[in-house]
Amino acid sequence: MSRLIASADDRIARRTLLGSAAKAAFGLTLLDGVPAGRAAADAPVPTGANVIYLMMRGAMSHLDTFDPKPGREEQGETRVIATTLPGVSFGEHLPRLAGLADRLTIIRSLTTETGAHEQGTYLLRTSYPELASVRHPSLGSWVVHVLGKRSRDLPGYVLVGNGNEHPGCGFLDPAVTPVPVADPRRGLENIRRPEYLSPANFERRLALADRIDRDFRGHYAGPQIAAYDRMYADAVRLMGSGDLAAFDISREDAPTREKYGTSRLGQGCLLARRLVESGVRCVEVESAGWDMHRDLWDELPEKAGELDAALAALLADLESRGLLASTLVVLGTEFGRSPKINENGGRDHHPAVFSGVLAGAGVKAGLVYGASDAAGRTPDGDAVSVADFNATIAAACGFPWQQEFLAPNGRPFRIGNAGKPIAAVLA
Amino acid sequence: MIGELMRKRAGPVTGVVGMLAAACLAATTAPPEPLPTLAKLPVAVTIPPSGPVMAVARIDGSRRARVRREAAAIDDHLAGRWREHGVEPSTPLDDSQFVRRMVLELAGRIPSYEEARAFLEDASPEKRDALIERLLESPDYVSHFYNHWADVLRLAERPQKNLVLEPYLAWIKDSIRTNRRYDEWVHEMLTADGRPWENPAVGFQLRDDGMPLPYVDNTVRVLLGTQIGCAQCHDHPFDRWTQHQFYELAAFTAGTRTRLNAGIRPAKPGQDPKPVPPPVVRTLIREIREEKGRKSGPMIQFILANATAVSFKEASLKLPHDYQYDDARPLDRVEPEILWGDVPATVRNADGREQFARWVVSRSNRQFARTIANRIWKKVMGVGLVEPVDDFRDQNPPSDRELLEHLAGLMIRLDFDVREYVRVLVSTGAYQRRAVLHDPTSAEPFRFAGPALRRMTAEQVWDSIVGLIARNPWTVQRPTVADVAEVAAIDLRTATVADVERQFDRFMVRFGPAARQRRYARECGYQGLWLMKASEMPTPLPLGHFLRQFGQSDRESIDGGRTVPTIPQILAMFNGPVTHATLEEGSVIYETVMQRDPEEVVDAVFLSILSREPSAEDRRAAVEELTAVDSATGCGNLVWALLNTREFLFIQ
Repeated sequence: MSRLIASADDRIARRTLLGSAAKAAFGLTLLDGVPAGRAAADAPVPTGANVIYLMMRGAMSHLDTFDPKPGREEQGETRVIATTLPGVSFGEHLPRLAGLADRLTIIRSLTTETGAHEQGTYLLRTSYPELASVRHPSLGSWVVHVLGKRSRDLPGYVLVGNGNEHPGCGFLDPAVTPVPVADPRRGLENIRRPEYLSPANFERRLALADRIDRDFRGHYAGPQIAAYDRMYADAVRLMGSGDLAAFDISREDAPTREKYGTSRLGQGCLLARRLVESGVRCVEVESAGWDMHRDLWDELPEKAGELDAALAALLADLESRGLLASTLVVLGTEFGRSPKINENGGRDHHPAVFSGVLAGAGVKAGLVYGASDAAGRTPDGDAVSVADFNATIAAACGFPWQQEFLAPNGRPFRIGNAGKPIAAVLA
Repeated sequence: MIGELMRKRAGPVTGVVGMLAAACLAATTAPPEPLPTLAKLPVAVTIPPSGPVMAVARIDGSRRARVRREAAAIDDHLAGRWREHGVEPSTPLDDSQFVRRMVLELAGRIPSYEEARAFLEDASPEKRDALIERLLESPDYVSHFYNHWADVLRLAERPQKNLVLEPYLAWIKDSIRTNRRYDEWVHEMLTADGRPWENPAVGFQLRDDGMPLPYVDNTVRVLLGTQIGCAQCHDHPFDRWTQHQFYELAAFTAGTRTRLNAGIRPAKPGQDPKPVPPPVVRTLIREIREEKGRKSGPMIQFILANATAVSFKEASLKLPHDYQYDDARPLDRVEPEILWGDVPATVRNADGREQFARWVVSRSNRQFARTIANRIWKKVMGVGLVEPVDDFRDQNPPSDRELLEHLAGLMIRLDFDVREYVRVLVSTGAYQRRAVLHDPTSAEPFRFAGPALRRMTAEQVWDSIVGLIARNPWTVQRPTVADVAEVAAIDLRTATVADVERQFDRFMVRFGPAARQRRYARECGYQGLWLMKASEMPTPLPLGHFLRQFGQSDRESIDGGRTVPTIPQILAMFNGPVTHATLEEGSVIYETVMQRDPEEVVDAVFLSILSREPSAEDRRAAVEELTAVDSATGCGNLVWALLNTREFLFIQ
């Protein structure tokens, strides 16, 4: 067999690699009940929408972005601008989004209990408070697990950002854990074999590792080792994919790249668009730096400007490619920032009320749902919990949000916990 | 003989492919793989350090009997638990498992070939105790425990633009090197005054500069294992802490100031919201802004770093404007009050910050001892008696209260000598058993039939692989307090713009990111990586770095390191430059294998990477590989294959 591979061209060899070695190596059969070719053969037929989730880490100030309070002392230095929706204004650093307000659903009455970043982000990603005894799946993992992957070789879920704090697949199959991309400009690093390493030799290496590792894996068979086995197999499959160009944003022309902005968030959104176009179901793009406890007005223009360029370009691009109808775009953040300006010229944590944005598949366009009170301090009716927000996202992308799924410990969980979708927001 | 064989081989002999053309005699008819053009390893890392890397506090060898006694007490207790619950203890470690586990646990890397071999061949009956003691006084111990604390304390060099915290990081490392008592260095951190290069312990208070309430939350979480953060905004939903109690505790440290001569004016809308520095600083900043163009931004940050100094002046704290409970009114002044126990009598008349600090570290505050005892127990055994280690509360009781209290008592008896405590734990029979699986979702508590199976931490993976490459992973060390003081300090009372610029330029030559990168690349650079100890690298590292791929903390969250698999870490092991570097000419493993007779090659590769001899089946597989392709490729493949086993990544 090795001679055959050695004489074959690269493409054939890769296919051979995928067909035989990947399965033989890394003990895919060790995974109880999970067939090796799951994504290809017996995965559910993909239905429902894609999701691109822009995660504003650090807690985005609602008063300085989507819920300004002109004329109030609490507004600080941020001026307001009119949007395409009558009577609705945004903070001055979101001019492009103000021009697209008629494509958005803006929720101004989100509310949560926790003012701690990690716990708040965990809740936003999973609908559940963090517990020691169970790890809950993130929204994207739920969606891929239930609605299915769209591409055979590409992952179902990609995270542009830091994987450490991400709950990932929770108690679901590790196959639906997001693949982290550290830097959107560099795509998936080390995805290609070194030039000197032939496919045949790569395959030999895999087989050898598998053979030597058999005793250890047998002795410690369990979820930890199985998760690694699975990840090795996925890495091999991904290396053989013909769609790797999806990860390479340098293939976009310069004007397109500039439109999204040169920030990590902008380039991440461009990567997200390419990935969704190529069949990735969910992409989360993280953008840190919103935790503005001091000197808020020094930092806000840049940060909000990045968001404005990135989200506006993403929406326009998805629309012009006919993808907005099948893709739900979400802007979320763990909580809001205090209307009261602190002694360091910043705003502190404020869980009582904050804003989120939805656009595209399954949601109305040009809607403001809920409001905060005059000072931006608490919801003024129509309060939306994080669980409600997530149930709405689920319902909008065609997820059976009411269905309960059993974790291995036998307890039932729902994608939006006890939350209910906001009917007024759904299209 | 080697030279002869090398010459016989046609073409250049470099790196992975040329590797072992000499050492492996197996003849081959297959054409050699195309030769890669690879970078060379930097020379400095291929030469062992010429002298001691650092002086580490010595271990007291005469205490061996006491350590054994303390370890036996823990073992007796666990044996009782095993009987009670019908738990079968795991198999005791054999020598090769022992040396691998112990070097990973205490030095944060796998043992070298020589180290493993020497241990296996050593016939002395007390070789296990001797190994433990040798490791605990090695520079690698300092490096490894620095990594542990860096994750707990979120150590970063520039957590905010105006903070220069290298001195604090150096001070933490030094506290480990000199094995200072834990309660002492904690007290010093909580009460230090000055600028970071004058009194580096201030770094702890500066880490959350500008966020006095989160500072209290994080401090209590890390040092007392208690989460009161929820109570910052409202009464804790599932613990007993009220918002009023949170403010009472925060009142102790409300007088902490972090600006030199702080003349901070509350921001009003429409006014400049920035803190107003003292007049001299303000004048300097204005002049720099007018004169220095593009350089003015970083220069102003440099000035502000010099104007950052911790001091304490009693001040009161008020409840928030939206305080909603009946026991007090919004904006009421809060009297300081601790969460439990008493402020020690000796400091009743001291300032609030001193009272708080003494209360935290006091021997009568047993929660302080419990927290550190549990944290280190988890580090060694893999699972805490309370999990998570920073969430002690009534509804989350310890899995074995008696053991936890025993360990807290041990910590106090040892005068908070954390290293001696580690020495006791790793000397227990329970620890010196094969790892067992732990299911955190199980309703049944973990019974410590052995330590829990874990993947290596990111730093352990990195330092282990660097150890297969570099004879000297210490070519660069973290800057010392004096290094920073020399180029950072400005006398703000007398400085002119020219003085500031001169010092700023010196600072940038030494600590500017570009200069630092150039220096590190020169010393130990290889294909964009620095082949040096993880503990000595700039921190936090960029998201795409090998260490971050393997889950190293971003230094934003407490205990933020992770050990879960991801695609990028596997791709890095498959195709990344770190794996290549192991196979370069001059790497430790290359040289190790080159020196062996052919029949020893397989053993040498196994001992170097997995710290054990190959089984009969392993040997068959390896020999088949070496004879199937050309021998060099075969050996390269064997090294690669062993690095890509679960056995390599997991600690058994």
